[in-house]
Amino acid sequence: MSADDHQPRSAAAVDERPDLDAASLISVRGLRVHFETKRGRAHAVDGVDLDIRDGETIGLVGETGSGKSVTARSLLRLVPMPPGVLAGGSVLYRPKQVCGACSGSGCTACGQVGRRPIACRACDGAGCEACEHTGRHTVDLLRISDTELREIRGNRIAMIFQDPGKALNPALTIRQQIAEVFLEHRSGELLQAAGLEDGDRRAGRLMRRSAHQRVRGIERLMLKLPPWRGRQVKLSTAIDDAVIRALEDTRIPNPRKILTNYPHELSGGMKQRVMIAQALACDPDLLIADEPTTALDVTIQARILDLISELQQRRGTAVLYISHDLSLVKRVCDRVAVLYAGQIAEVSDVAELFRRPMHPYTRGLLAAVPSAEQQRGQLRAIRGTVPELVDPEPACRFHTRCDAAVPLCASREPVLWERGDGAAPHRVACFAHADPQVLGVDRRELPVLDEGSS
Amino acid sequence: MTAATNPLDRPAALHAGDHVLNVRAVRKHFPIKDGVLQRVAGHVRAVDGVSFDVPRGSTVGLVGESGCGKSTLGRVIAGLLDPTDGGVFFGMPAAERARLDALLQVPPEARSEAQAAELGDIDQQFRIDRLDKHRRRHYRRNCQVVFQDAFASLNPRQLVRDIVGRPLKAFGEASGSALTERVVELLEQVGLGRQHLYRYPHQFSGGQRQRISIARALALDPEFMVLDEPTSSLDVSVQAQILNLLHELQRERGLTYLFISHDLNVVRHMSDEVVVMYLGRIAESARSTAIFETPRHPYTEALLAANPDETDREPIRLSGSVPDPARPPQGCRFHTRCPVATPRCGWEVDDLVRIAGESEGALDGLKGVERRDPFDAKLVFDTSRQATATARSMQRDRLPDALAQAVRRVERLDDTVAVSLQSVDEPPLVEVAPGHRTNCVLHHDEL
Amino acid sequence: MAESTVRPAPPGLPAVPLEALRTRGLRFAELARSALRNPTTLLGLAILTVIFAMAIFAPLLVPVNPSGALQMPRNWGATNAPPGTPGHPLGTTPNGGDVLYGIVWGARTSLRLSLTVVSITVVVGVAMGSLAGFLGGKWDELLMRLVDVFLSIPELIFALAIAAVLGPSFGNIILALAAVFWVKYARIIRGQIMQVKQNEFVDAAYVVGESRWNVYRKDVLPNSITPVVVQATLDMGHVVLIGATLSFIGLAEAGLAEWGNLVSEGQSGIAAGRWWVATFSGLMVFLWSLSFNLVGDGLRDVLDPRTEGR
Repeated sequence: MSADDHQPRSAAAVDERPDLDAASLISVRGLRVHFETKRGRAHAVDGVDLDIRDGETIGLVGETGSGKSVTARSLLRLVPMPPGVLAGGSVLYRPKQVCGACSGSGCTACGQVGRRPIACRACDGAGCEACEHTGRHTVDLLRISDTELREIRGNRIAMIFQDPGKALNPALTIRQQIAEVFLEHRSGELLQAAGLEDGDRRAGRLMRRSAHQRVRGIERLMLKLPPWRGRQVKLSTAIDDAVIRALEDTRIPNPRKILTNYPHELSGGMKQRVMIAQALACDPDLLIADEPTTALDVTIQARILDLISELQQRRGTAVLYISHDLSLVKRVCDRVAVLYAGQIAEVSDVAELFRRPMHPYTRGLLAAVPSAEQQRGQLRAIRGTVPELVDPEPACRFHTRCDAAVPLCASREPVLWERGDGAAPHRVACFAHADPQVLGVDRRELPVLDEGSS
Repeated sequence: MTAATNPLDRPAALHAGDHVLNVRAVRKHFPIKDGVLQRVAGHVRAVDGVSFDVPRGSTVGLVGESGCGKSTLGRVIAGLLDPTDGGVFFGMPAAERARLDALLQVPPEARSEAQAAELGDIDQQFRIDRLDKHRRRHYRRNCQVVFQDAFASLNPRQLVRDIVGRPLKAFGEASGSALTERVVELLEQVGLGRQHLYRYPHQFSGGQRQRISIARALALDPEFMVLDEPTSSLDVSVQAQILNLLHELQRERGLTYLFISHDLNVVRHMSDEVVVMYLGRIAESARSTAIFETPRHPYTEALLAANPDETDREPIRLSGSVPDPARPPQGCRFHTRCPVATPRCGWEVDDLVRIAGESEGALDGLKGVERRDPFDAKLVFDTSRQATATARSMQRDRLPDALAQAVRRVERLDDTVAVSLQSVDEPPLVEVAPGHRTNCVLHHDEL
Repeated sequence: MAESTVRPAPPGLPAVPLEALRTRGLRFAELARSALRNPTTLLGLAILTVIFAMAIFAPLLVPVNPSGALQMPRNWGATNAPPGTPGHPLGTTPNGGDVLYGIVWGARTSLRLSLTVVSITVVVGVAMGSLAGFLGGKWDELLMRLVDVFLSIPELIFALAIAAVLGPSFGNIILALAAVFWVKYARIIRGQIMQVKQNEFVDAAYVVGESRWNVYRKDVLPNSITPVVVQATLDMGHVVLIGATLSFIGLAEAGLAEWGNLVSEGQSGIAAGRWWVATFSGLMVFLWSLSFNLVGDGLRDVLDPRTEGR
C-alpha cells in the first residue's frame, strides 16, 4: 500500500506522465459498510483503505467479525442492502484490456500476461482528478450502474467462496456451470470459434439460448433441422472445448468425464477446482478468494493453494485472499493487511510482517497459534473478545484487549502510519508507533510495546 | 461377530498401567438406504475396527481428515452411538484388561462356554453399552463431552444457570439455591461469573459459549472428557484461551482427555499420545513427539507436510480425494493416494479401472464389470475395439510403477478384458517401536 | 458479543430467581415490542380486541335470549326489518332474528368454535407428531402414513362428510373440524423435531444423564413449537371460516347465533335488496379471519428462528 500512490501530483507534464503499470488495480478508499441491527448500527467495515496491485496476491486477515468478508464482498456489491448500508468510501477499479501488440498471447510489452492497462479516457493517461492522477481508466465499483457492474462481475473480477457445495448450482451440470460464464461474457468469441458469423443476431441469440439449454418447443424443433442443426453442433463443440480447456487448467484429470456430472457427484476438492475453473474462465484481472480452503481437508487444501498460485502467475491475475489463518497467508501472499473490528490494523509485505509485526493485535495473533515450542497451558492468548461494533466510540478498537493500552488509546482513533524503511513499506495503526508531534501529545502519553513479545 | 474375528489390531502390546478407557475393535457401520422401500443397499464403514487405550491423566489426540470416522468414534465412546461391533470399556483395572485381551485373542467360534461366559461377565462390568443401570450411571457421570459447535451445543431457550446446573439436577445432586451456588463455582472455574447466571446462550460470544459448555461438562466432576473439536469453531486468539483453560483444568482435577481434532498444531500442543485415523481405521499411533518427529506412515507425513506452519518440510501433495467409506480400498486403505505405494499395498480392479480411465478413450463403452473378487474381474465392452483401447491403456508402461507390478494379467478376448492383480490382505497395525504402531507395510519391513 | 449490552448484576446482591424471571420477561417484552412495530399486526390485534370485547361483554351489549344464549331470538312481528329499525339497529332476518344479536353472540360462538377446535387439534397433533418425530422408526412410519391418508382428502369435503354422517349440530362441526385439522400440526411438529433432534444440545443433554422424556420436554419441544404457535393463530381464523361454510350449507342447528348461519339466512334476500343480513355477518367472518391472519403473519416474522435472538 505505497502511500504516495494516490498523492496528488503537482505538475502533470506530458513527459512526466504517470507510469500506468505502477498504479494499482483496485484502490479501496475509506470504505464504510454498516449494518442496521436491533441494537443499533454495527460498523462492520469502518474506513478501510486498501490497494491491490496488478498481479499481486494480497491477504486480508482477520478473525470473526473483523469485516474481512464484508470488505471483499463490497468490491462486487454483494453485501445485501438492507440490512447493509454503504456509509461511505469508494472502490476504484482500473480495468485492463487485451494487449494490442500480441492480442493476448503474451509479449514483452505486456509482461507476458497478455493484458495492458487502459489510459484514462478523460486525460488520455496524463493524470487528472477522475483517475486519481494515475492516468488509468478508472471506474468506481460502488457507483456504476448494475448493468456495468454485471459486465465486470465474473468477467473482470471473479470470486470463489468458502463452500463450493453451496456456491455451485446443484441443478446444473459441470458443463452448464462453466458454459454459463462463457456465454454471459464471451458469447461473441464462442460463436466465432464455432465458425458462426456474428452478423445474424437472431441466430446468435438462439444459439446462446440453446447453449444455456433454455430453448423451448418450436425452437427445439428448429435446432434439430438444417441449417440450425449444423450450427448447433458446432457451437456445442466450441463450448465443450472452452469448458474442457478451463477444467484442464485446474488439473482435473480427463475433464471430459465430469462434464455431465452434477456438483454433488464430485468431492469437495474437485468442486473447488470447478469453481476455480469457473472463476478464471474469463481471465479476470482480480480473483477474490474468500477462505477458499477452509472447508477442505489439509491435504486437499495444499493442492488448491498450489493451483491458485500457479494459475495466477501464469495469467497475471491479482488475488485478494481472505483468511483467518495467518500461517496460510504467509505461505501464499505477497502482502498482508490485518483487519481488526472493521479497520486495518497493519499492512505490509509478508516477510516484513512476520519478521517485524508492529501492531499488538498482529503479535497476539501470531503468538496464539499453538506450536510444539510452547509449553502446554502457556499459550499467549489475547484476552477478552472482539468488541461490539454497534456505534463505537472514537478509540483504538483494540484497546480493550491490549496489554499496552494507555488512556490515549481509549480516547482517540489511530490512523495508519507509514513505519517501514524504504525497501519494505509497513503501515500500522497503533499509537505506539505514532509520532507524538503529529498527534500533539507528549511522548510519555504514548503506549510502549514490550519488544520481547514479538 | 465380536472383536477377535478381526485378526488385526491385536491389542496385546498396548500400554501397561492404569487406563480410563479401552477401545477394542470398535466398528460403527451406518446403513445406506435406497429406493422407495428403504432397502439397505450397503454400509458406510465410518469406524472399521479400531483399538486403542487412554491412560489415566493423559491426553490422547485423535486426528484425521473429515470422514475418517474420528467424530463417530468420539460419539461411540461418549455413549451416544452403540457400536456395530467391538466395545468400549470404561474404568477397567489392569488385571481385567489382561483377561479381556487374552479372551479376545481367541476367535469367537473357538471360544469355550466358560470363556464366553467370562467375556459376558467383563462386558457387563465395563463395556459401556452393556452396563447395568447402576454402572451405567457411574460411567455417565464420569464421561463427559465438550462438543464442536459452540453455538449448537447449548439449548437456546435455557438460561446459563439451567444449562450448567442440568447435570446436577439430573443426578439429583443439588437444587434450588444450592444448585445456583454450585453453578456459580463452576462458572468461576471457567472464567465466567455470577453475573452470567441468568442469560441466554445467544448473549455470549463463541469463546464464552465454549466456556459454558466446559462448565457443564465439569459439573459432575468427571474423570474423563471427550473433547470433540472444541476449538474448531473459534478464532485463534480465543482458541488459545480455551486450550489454556482445558490444560489448567486437567492439571487441577487430574482429568483424562480424548482430544479430537483435525488441526495438527492443536493436537501436537495438547496431546501426550496421538492416534491418526484414515478412512475408519488407525493408520498410526504413538507418543505425540514420536508422531511429529519420526512419523512412520506416509499419510501422517503428508498431513504434517500439508501444515502451513511446517515450512521446512518437503511438501507432499496427495493425489485424489478420500475414497468412499462405503467401499474402502483393499489392502492398505491409503494406497490409492500414497506417494510411496508398493505393489503389495492392495491394488485392486477398481484402482486399475480408475487410473486407466484417466487417459482419453479408455473405458468408452464399458458395459459392466464382472467381479470374481476385488482383485480379479472381467470388463465387458460394447465393441472389441473399445476393449482393445482399454487394454492398451492398462499396459505396464502406461501405469504407475507400483500398480504395474501388482498387475498379474490383462487379457483381451473379443469385447471383454480380463484383469487380475496380486491379492493382498489388509495390513495389521503393528508395533514397530516401543508404543509406536503403524499399519504401513514399508515400516513393517524394518522390523 | 453482548458483553456491553447486558448489565452486570449489582455486586453483593444474592442471585435470585427473580432475575431469571426478569431475563425471560425482557425477552418476551422484546418479542412483543418487535411484533407491535409492524402496523399490520397492530391492525389485526386491534380488530381482535374489538371482537373479543364484543364476545366477552355480549350480555351487556344485547340482552340474553331467555330461550338459550346462542339461540337467535325471534321477533315474528318484524321480519326483514331494514337497519335502523327501532330495537333492531342492524335489521332483522327473514325469520325475525335480530342481526345485531347474531353478530354479537356469534362472536362468542366463533370464539368457542375456534378455541375448542384449535386446542384439541394442537394437543392431538403435537402428541402424534412428537411420537413420530422423536421416537422415529416404526412409530414414524405408522403415524405418517395415517397422516398421509388424512391429507389426501380435501379438508372441507372431509369435514362435510363427517358432519353429514353425524347429523347437523354445532358440536358435530367442532368434531369434524378437529378430525381434519390435527394432521397439519402432526406434520409441522414432526418436521421440526426431526430437525431439532440433530442439534448438538440434544446430544449434550443425553451426555449429562438426562432422561429421554426430559430431553423431549426441555430441549426438543420448546425448540420445535414456534411454527405450531404461528399455525394455531392462523387456524383460529381458518376454523371459523370453514365452520361458517359448514353452517352456511346448513350443518349447524337452525337458529344458532352464528355468522355462517346468518349469511345463509340472508342470502336469499340479497337479490330482493335485503343486503344487511348477509353483509354484516359476512363482514364479521372476513374481519375475524383477516385479523388472525395478520397477527399470525406478524408472529411468524417475530418468531422466525433465523431472526430470533439477534
